[in-house]
Amino acid sequence: LAHSAARERVPIEPGFFTIPDDPKQPPRLLGSRCRACGEHFFPRREICAKCLNQGTDDVALSPRGTLYTWTYVYFPMFNSKRGDTGGYGVGQVDLPEGPRIQAVLSGGPGDFQIGMPMELELEVLRENSKGQDVVIHRFRPVSPRAEAAR
Amino acid sequence: MKPGEVAVLGVGMTRFGVYPDRSNAELAREAGVAALRDAGISFAQVGEAFVGYLFGTVMTGIKAMKELGLTGLPVTHVENASATGLVAFREAVYAVASGRCEIAMALGFDRMSQSLRAGSGSRGIGRDEIDSVILPAAYFSLWAMRRMHERGTKPLHFAEIAAKNWNHGALNPKSDRQPDHVVTAEEVLASRKIAEPVTAMMTCPVDDGAACAIVARPELAQRLQPGRPLVTVLASVLQTETYTPGHTFVGPVVGPPSMSRDTAREAYEKAGVGPEDVDLVLVHDAFANEELEYYELLGFAAPGEAEKLVETGATRLGGRIPFNTDGGLIARGHPGGPTGLAQIHEIALQLRGEAGRRQVPDARIGLAHLVGGGSVCAISLLARGYTA
Repeated sequence: LAHSAARERVPIEPGFFTIPDDPKQPPRLLGSRCRACGEHFFPRREICAKCLNQGTDDVALSPRGTLYTWTYVYFPMFNSKRGDTGGYGVGQVDLPEGPRIQAVLSGGPGDFQIGMPMELELEVLRENSKGQDVVIHRFRPVSPRAEAAR
Repeated sequence: MKPGEVAVLGVGMTRFGVYPDRSNAELAREAGVAALRDAGISFAQVGEAFVGYLFGTVMTGIKAMKELGLTGLPVTHVENASATGLVAFREAVYAVASGRCEIAMALGFDRMSQSLRAGSGSRGIGRDEIDSVILPAAYFSLWAMRRMHERGTKPLHFAEIAAKNWNHGALNPKSDRQPDHVVTAEEVLASRKIAEPVTAMMTCPVDDGAACAIVARPELAQRLQPGRPLVTVLASVLQTETYTPGHTFVGPVVGPPSMSRDTAREAYEKAGVGPEDVDLVLVHDAFANEELEYYELLGFAAPGEAEKLVETGATRLGGRIPFNTDGGLIARGHPGGPTGLAQIHEIALQLRGEAGRRQVPDARIGLAHLVGGGSVCAISLLARGYTA
């Protein structure tokens, strides 16, 4: 695989998250906010699941949240063609807007604690036939250093 | 449908296991013939059939039904993931209750071992790919980790439940897993770690098999089977998710847990009974920690008290309220489509007093519960000797 800095990244599925041009910027999950009751959802939906109002606004959700629960799976990641995934974390992260996001976590089994702050990032799952990196969203624990820099 | 308006006329099933050389049609025929024999009727008397499977292609069900005969009866396919068998049962019950037919059949089969090996199914395509990165084992482990955080539950609690179900399986000739020794919680904990904190022996096997239940009006059952204890249906309900804050929409979703509580409430209301009236319970223990949650969600323990049921052995055979007397998904097995009908099979035998070494003394009311991905919850309550 060629590892140039400018490899093009494409989402595993369009419409779920942004891929910022600046790799230092966190991606954002693409959600919806109900025009009637204000409930937030991920992923995007047209009809509010709470009040059934037809009509939502597109919103970019906060890239940070709180770890509600987690596990560490001792298997290679499904659909990942990378050889180095002996296991992987999975968790549910509560965003400040309300949605609970179920996603892959980056880190080892000793890195997670319920209630800890988490931040969204992108992970390369595999290369597609066009030579692009297929990426998926995942959360990582907010590092103390990054926290101090804020 | 009023409680007791429909009776279970007959049940039959194959032993669950891995059968690389047996077709869906062959498995379906074995279970169907066994249920017809148990009911004491000919296939010609079956007025309607509901056939359930997860892993076949279109028409698989109708072709399997032809193994039993070509009588022109209406056949409908049912698919609700792991809950498929109980949903097919519910449809058969309502076909009789509505007067649409006198005798209805629910038949489920699957060869999950072959299907997963072949990589078929919906995982990994388009929208589904984003869901499939997280496996069901991870999903239920998320429940377990949260439970441990909130209630101080130990992996040992989950291991005790798994060991209990393995040991129940040893008493059931239809169980996939029939251990030749008493399985201990320590042995369960020492097995391979799947997803924190769940180990391999806390999970159900990937199985093949078939199961069948035949239902009819109680008067007809009594006429066809004089002298046999009557087994009737008090309620058979199905719910999907009700939106709650913190709902997850991406990845495997078999919940929220409140779905089981809501469905149980509806089942008890329709049946006119409560958890205190129930003598045995079969639940979706694909992962042992699920069973612990269902102790509370189905009303058998107050919130935070489920661990005490484990510690006192209350849910073992011989305990106050035995759970998964046939081994549950963990031992008896979980092919998919037939799983719920295996639960009906077990409860019918228990209520008739025909469950052999695993008989719950004087069992009068049994509850069958399954959740299915997507997601759904199905619950049926059966009783002995109840007349509407």
